[in-house]
Amino acid sequence: MKISIEHLTKAFPSRNKKGDPVIAVNDMTIEIPSGKLVGLLGPSGCGKSTTLFMLSGLENPTAGRIMFDDEDVTTLAPERRGIGLVFQNYALYPHMTVEQNIMFPLTNMRVPKEEAKARALDAARLVQIEDLMARKPSELSGGQQQRVAIARALVKMPNVLLLDEPLSNLDARLRLQTREEIKRIQRETGITTVFVTHDQEEAMSICDIMVVMKLGIVQQIGEPQHIYDDPNNLFVANFLGTPPINVFKGKAEGGNVYIGSQAVMKKVKVPVKKLHEAEDGTVTEETTNEIISDQELYVGIRPEGFIYDEKGVLTLNVDHIEVMGRDKSVVCEHESSTKPTVRCILDSDVALPDSDKFSFNLKPNKVFLFNAETEERIL
Amino acid sequence: MAKKDNIPNDEVKNAAELDDAVVTQDAAVDADLPQESAAEAKPSAGQKIKDWFVSLWDKIKSAFVSERKNEQLALPRELVEKIPPEMLLTDVKLTKKEKVVRFLRSQSGWLFVLPAVLLMCIFTFYPIINAFVSAFKENYNATTHRFDGWGFENFKRVIMSDTGTGGASFVQCLVNTLVFTLVSVPLSTLLALLISVALNSIKPLQKAYQTVLFLPYLTNSLAMGAVFATFFTIIGTSRHVDTYGIVNIMLGWFGVEPIDWVGIGSPTWELGAITIPWAKYVVAIVYEVWSGLPFKILILFSALQSVNKQYYDAAKIDGASRSTVLWKVTAPLISPMISYLLVTGIMGGMKQYSAIVGLFGDQMGFNYDMGTMVGYIYSYIENGKTGYAFAGSVLLFIVIMIITLINTQISKKRVTY
Ligand SMILES: Nc1ncnc2c1ncn2[C@@H]1O[C@H](COP(=O)(O)OP(=O)(O)OP(=O)(O)O)[C@@H](O)[C@H]1O
Ligand SMILES: [Mg+2]
Repeated sequence: MKISIEHLTKAFPSRNKKGDPVIAVNDMTIEIPSGKLVGLLGPSGCGKSTTLFMLSGLENPTAGRIMFDDEDVTTLAPERRGIGLVFQNYALYPHMTVEQNIMFPLTNMRVPKEEAKARALDAARLVQIEDLMARKPSELSGGQQQRVAIARALVKMPNVLLLDEPLSNLDARLRLQTREEIKRIQRETGITTVFVTHDQEEAMSICDIMVVMKLGIVQQIGEPQHIYDDPNNLFVANFLGTPPINVFKGKAEGGNVYIGSQAVMKKVKVPVKKLHEAEDGTVTEETTNEIISDQELYVGIRPEGFIYDEKGVLTLNVDHIEVMGRDKSVVCEHESSTKPTVRCILDSDVALPDSDKFSFNLKPNKVFLFNAETEERIL
Repeated sequence: MAKKDNIPNDEVKNAAELDDAVVTQDAAVDADLPQESAAEAKPSAGQKIKDWFVSLWDKIKSAFVSERKNEQLALPRELVEKIPPEMLLTDVKLTKKEKVVRFLRSQSGWLFVLPAVLLMCIFTFYPIINAFVSAFKENYNATTHRFDGWGFENFKRVIMSDTGTGGASFVQCLVNTLVFTLVSVPLSTLLALLISVALNSIKPLQKAYQTVLFLPYLTNSLAMGAVFATFFTIIGTSRHVDTYGIVNIMLGWFGVEPIDWVGIGSPTWELGAITIPWAKYVVAIVYEVWSGLPFKILILFSALQSVNKQYYDAAKIDGASRSTVLWKVTAPLISPMISYLLVTGIMGGMKQYSAIVGLFGDQMGFNYDMGTMVGYIYSYIENGKTGYAFAGSVLLFIVIMIITLINTQISKKRVTY
């Protein structure tokens, strides 16, 4: 089922009467193709859960429209939307066994008992908990509880599956395992799935489409790799990637980009949008590449964007080197860096001299330039 | 525990012996052993009874002698062999002196409860025991403390209603009390549940409603009973009626003939030895339900407020109807509180007295036809036949005990914590 969200907005009244309302979700417009796994990604409090609850019908939007295929569901009651929802902390009914929990949506739909049992078993098999049917939720591990919650959401064969940070309570290994499982279940069932997380790695690894949010505003939508390679702004660049991107204060002068006193890029051309008015009066937008104007910048360099070179363009003070098998990570310092350390990831077979200053060349596609004020991407 | 003392104090020589000690310290485990050898064979009734007593004794013992928990656990032999003996956290290796010190330490809590225990001994345990003993004294005279001998005469007469004229009938009082309690307590709990669910779902004026609903709790039950009686009463004589009470007036709107709800002419059903004054029953039950509500609403409402809202969201997503949510989600989630209300409500109901006096006067209706168990006991204290009062209170104790036992058995099955 295709989901179209148009101008979706949610305002919560502020606690004190006179204060401004809290805008939890701000003018969100996205289109989710049928059968895809979509990740809503953003820091805590950015409105991910609120978006999900509006999709589920538990919260009413303040403005905007939600369409499932061609049906407007904006004001439809939750139970009539055909959705399955897995809550942030599962919300399994503690007094019911696993089987009763999974069967609960079916009994409400007046499915005959035998059929309900069979379908519950199918759902349980899908998430591999068929041995635990007689237990109470309190007798299950976090991962098992989560799978019960997924089974309960899947058993009614929903058109849309919504998952609210389903992995946040699990330990690292189980999280890895379960996210693969969610991907598998999603593929097997082909249900359009919206998945909320604040863990970018999780989102990158399993999502078909990722939506990055900040303070209720959508920052960027796209395939994970695309967003990683081509972030719209400093926030998105910062949010994606482990270890995170290195950000330096820099400036453009005479077409060159400087970090400190070193020119790291020369003759830089940046795309500039211009409105071009034709003779008949139609206005078209044209993008031309022009030499960068003099300005303050943020220079973002991905950790893997460094190439060791004695005559490199950027010199960093080495703090220490971490060897991690496949590659090694050189932890450096630089006075222009916005973070205390600068991390460079190099192949483990790169030979490094015993020195406290290293120079690097930069891979052009791993370097991003951002406007210092708007933090929007320039290049 | 006898076996434990045989173990050398300084050192446990081998793990097998230790294992043995761990297993056999527990008398209950001991008793289970023969069963295990004949796993298929059903334990005999005698065996069952013996087991029951053994486990009861263990429970009592563990209530008085606090021991380390893991001492009770028989670790598997392989495990015991792997763990160095000095690291096994059981008391096996303690010297006598250490044991004594530990025991005294573990019992120091008594010091703190001593004042309360002393007071309870004087004001609770002594009267209870005294009542039990006195119930068996025949023709006991409360002023001279003289009696004719020991026996079951009091009980016999109480149960056979052979207590002379003027007093209440035991069977009548027992039936009355059981009916009042077993009808009004579940009914008022149910009503309280519905009201508190409704209260929980409204936002404006919630606090105000809550206060109003709680007000009756602050009112004296005797006074409330008397006021209630005026609602139902008919003022005047049977030949000349001045006014009907508000209930009769309202029933009149629906064409119902006025009923003498609380007076002498109140309608009754005769059922063998007992009379069922059903109109008075209605009044008593309505009163009990109403007066039981405030406390129950208070408890259930606060229980509801502590239920995680997410269960309701989940139920909404799962398409549960309102009644499904109430009976399949809400009620089980607060079932510990519901069970608490039922148990304490029934215990309280079995001891009902003052409200009935408030409603029907100190004769509890006409010649105690609305008498309760406690009313029965009072009536015999008043007319000096204390022996019957003692016997009645022992019987009341037994009845309450039986009901409470049934209650706990049911709630074990139905209540989820
Ligand atoms: N009922 C409410 N009343 C007022 N403000 C609310 C309410 N619910 C959420 N908010 C606010 O809306 C914003 C978004 O909340 P939301 O729960 O969607 O965050 P989230 O992205 O899910 O965060 P997390 O990752 O911590 O779960 C937050 O600033 C929060 O304080
Ligand atoms: Mg959330």
